[in-house]
Amino acid sequence: MQMAKHFSVKDKEAIRLLFSPLAQRCYSHGGKQETDEEFDARWVNYFNKADIDAWELRKGMNTLIGYDLVPEPKILDAALRACRGLDDLASAIRILEAVKDKSGPHKDIYPYLIQELRPTLDELGISTPEDLGMDKL
Amino acid sequence: MNMNRETDRPPVQNSTMSLAKPAMRGLLGKRLRFHLPIAFALSLVAAAAFKYGVTEPRKQAYADFYKQYDTTKEFNNMRDAGVFESVRPTGE
Repeated sequence: MQMAKHFSVKDKEAIRLLFSPLAQRCYSHGGKQETDEEFDARWVNYFNKADIDAWELRKGMNTLIGYDLVPEPKILDAALRACRGLDDLASAIRILEAVKDKSGPHKDIYPYLIQELRPTLDELGISTPEDLGMDKL
Repeated sequence: MNMNRETDRPPVQNSTMSLAKPAMRGLLGKRLRFHLPIAFALSLVAAAAFKYGVTEPRKQAYADFYKQYDTTKEFNNMRDAGVFESVRPTGE
């Protein structure tokens, strides 16, 4: 019925990015250490892929959340736009919940992220969990 | 329909202070580098406290007890109490 998904070159690059072992301060030898800017740029490109699909979005987010960092606003911006492209408001709001949780005890991170993402949230019409009362149990 | 903004927020673009960018990377690593040595040290302290607070006094108590232990006297006491099967109490 449906053809098997053929991976384009760009898809292969994206997937290669996912399986790269760079989980913040990876101690494997033999390679140049990636800078923070390179890391961010890779992930922005990952989510900016025009034909990103739902699986890649979820996989990307899950991988990103596994790192010892809170993603930069520009990465989250690209991820939220990918959600918009996939008509996935639920994932967009979930991303906000996830980064709030990633911040752990550092309560200054989430307000900063919302501040930086506010134009995007307004443009795409994404409500925050707080707007929806989802932050209260 | 944009339902995110409170209706009475002033239209000024930038209020007095926008939030500064906080540290966002390596937070868990930092926490572990701080807490793991402490946890390790506290574990060693707990083990040492138990060894010198519990096990060594116990061993000493046993040693003190058996230092003055008269095996023959105690054997005869047990024998006369009738707890053995291999020997009867003296005088039976």
